[in-house]
Amino acid sequence: MSADGGEARDDAADAPAIAAEGLRKRYVDGSRRIDAVADVTLTVPRGQLWVLRGPSGSGKTTLLGMLGGMLVPSRGSVALMGDDVTHLRDHHRTEVRRHRVGFVFQELSLVSRMSVRENVLLPLVPLGGATKAHERRAEALLERFGIGDRADSPVESLSGGQRQRAALARGLVLDPPLVLLDEPTAHLDTDNALEVVALLAELRDDGRTVIAATHDPRLADDARVDRVIRMRDGRVEEA
Amino acid sequence: MKRQLALLDFAMGSLRRRAGKSLALVAGLAFVVGLFGSALLLTDALKREYERGTEAMPDLTVQRLVAGRPSLIDAAAADALRDIPTVREVRPRVWGYFFFRAIEANVTIVGVDAARIDGDPGLATGRLPRAAGEVAIGTALGELLGLRVGDELGLPVDGEMTFSRVVGTFGAGSALRSADLVIATPAHARTLLGVPEGAATDLAIDLTTADEAPVVSARIAERLEGARVLDKRLLRRTYELTFDTRGGLLAALLVPALAAFLLLAWERLTGLGAAERQEIGVLKAVGWGTADVLAARIWESAAIAVSGAVLGLVAAYLYVFWAGAPGLANALLGWSAIQPPMELAPSLDPVQAFAILGAVVVPFVAVSVVPAWRAAMIDPDRAMRGAS
Repeated sequence: MSADGGEARDDAADAPAIAAEGLRKRYVDGSRRIDAVADVTLTVPRGQLWVLRGPSGSGKTTLLGMLGGMLVPSRGSVALMGDDVTHLRDHHRTEVRRHRVGFVFQELSLVSRMSVRENVLLPLVPLGGATKAHERRAEALLERFGIGDRADSPVESLSGGQRQRAALARGLVLDPPLVLLDEPTAHLDTDNALEVVALLAELRDDGRTVIAATHDPRLADDARVDRVIRMRDGRVEEA
Repeated sequence: MKRQLALLDFAMGSLRRRAGKSLALVAGLAFVVGLFGSALLLTDALKREYERGTEAMPDLTVQRLVAGRPSLIDAAAADALRDIPTVREVRPRVWGYFFFRAIEANVTIVGVDAARIDGDPGLATGRLPRAAGEVAIGTALGELLGLRVGDELGLPVDGEMTFSRVVGTFGAGSALRSADLVIATPAHARTLLGVPEGAATDLAIDLTTADEAPVVSARIAERLEGARVLDKRLLRRTYELTFDTRGGLLAALLVPALAAFLLLAWERLTGLGAAERQEIGVLKAVGWGTADVLAARIWESAAIAVSGAVLGLVAAYLYVFWAGAPGLANALLGWSAIQPPMELAPSLDPVQAFAILGAVVVPFVAVSVVPAWRAAMIDPDRAMRGAS
C-alpha cells in the first residue's frame, strides 16, 4: 500500500469500496465486557448509497467508525478499496483515512470559534495548508451546498442544517471516494433533512460510495437509498 | 517545513480562540520568570560591580590596627616592605569616610595622584583633580546634591566650611564604586579628612606574582607589629560567596512560586476541557495523525512559554536596571544599604537568559503535551464524545 493511498486506489480498482469480515468491537468496563459490535460481515460495492439503520445504542456509529478505519476492531478485518487497514500502524491508517474517507459526524464535529471556511480546510493543515486549488474546491462545495455566503461566518452562527452541510463540505474537501456519515439528518427539520438526503444521492451519483448511520426514516426509507442494513444490539439483523 | 508552518498557523489560531486562557498562562509565566530573573540579574550585576571594584584594588592592603580597629599608619612603614621579594610597589594611600549631614550618609573621600593614572579613569564629564581645592565626584552624589562641573562642594572641616571646586564627575559604569565617591589630590584629601603629613590610611602593595600574596602577607605581619593584611583574592572570593549565597537563598525562596505555578499550569493543562478533547477528536477524525495533534499542541505551548519567559525577562531587566530593583536590592545587599542610590550597569548574560528560557519552556511544553498525547491516543470517536 502506498502512503498516500492514491496509488493503492488505482491498483485495486475492481475491489469493493469496503470489505468487512467478522468485525467485533468489545469495550471493557471493570469486570463487564460489552460487545458494541459483534460478528459483522459486509461487502459494500463502489458507487452506492447505503444506510445503517437501528435504534440508539445498536452499534451503528461504532460499526461506521470501524468501516472507515477510525476505530480499530477487537476482532475481524476491514479492507478499503482492497487494502486491509485493520493492522496498519496508526500513521498509515491516518494516511488512508485522510485520502479515501470523508467523515461527517453529528453537529459536534465543527470546531467552534472558527469560520466555516477554516473548518472546511481543516483536513489540509497536516498536508501543509490549503493551496489555491483547495480553496477553490472549498468555495465550490460551499456554493453547491448553499452556504457559500456564510464561508467567513463563525460556525456558531449557522443553523443546524447549515452546520451539517458545512461538515459535509469538509468531508469532501479532499475528494474522497468513500463518505461516511453519522446521523446526517439528526435535529434537522424536514426540509433540511430532505436536502441532505438529496445531497447524499448526488454524491452517490458522482461515483462515490456513501454510507450513513441513522435511525431517521426520512433518510432510511428514501427511495434513492440502494440498501438498508438494520442493526440491533451490535449485530446486523437484516440486510 | 510547509507542514510545520501550517500547524504553527493553526496553533496560533487556537491560542486566539482561547485568548483568555492563553493570556492567563502567559501572565503567570511572565510573573514567575520575572521574579527569578530579577534575583539572578541583580545578583549578577552586584557581583560584577564587586569584581570591578576588586580589580582596581592592590594585591595586598596593609592597615594598622589599634584596639582592633583600623587606625592611621606611618607612611614611612612602606620603606620597610619594599625589599620583600615579589613586592613591585608600595603606596601609602589617603582615603576615608566623611559623614555628610545634607544627605544623612557617608561619602568616600579618596586621594588620587592624577599623574599616576594610566588609561581612562572612567569620568563622565570634566577631568581628575590636579590641584588642592579640586574634586571629582560620583554622578549619583552630584545629582543628589545638585552639583555639576564648575560648582563648589562645601564640606565642614574642623568647624569651618571648606569649599572644593567640582572639576569632573564619574559615570555609572561602576555605580557601586563611584556613586558616593569624592576624589581629591592626596594633599587635599589629607586636609578634608584631617590626616596629618607623614601618615596614611593604609598601604597599597602590588606584587609581581599575585600567587605569592599569602607568603608576602606573612612577611609583612612579621615586620609590622599590629598590621592587618587584606588579600585581594580573598576579598573577591568573600564577595562572590556572599552574593552567591544571598542570591541562592533568594532564588530558593522563589522556588515555591515556580512550583506553585507549574502545579497550576499542570492542573489547567491536564484538565483538558471537554471542548478541547472534542476538538482533538474532530482533528483526528478529519485526517490528522497523532503526531500532527501533538505538533500543534507543542507549538501552542511553546508560544505561550516563550512569550511568558521573554516578557518575564524583559520585566526583570527593567525592574533591576531601570527601576533599581526596589525591595529586592535590600534583600541582596543586606544591612549595608548604599547611599546615594546607585544605578547598576545594565547587562544580560545570554547564557543565563537561555538557561532561564530552557528551564521554563521545556517543562511547560512537556506538561502540556502529556494530556494532549493521551487525548490524541484514544479513538477520535470517543474523544469527540468527551471521553478522557
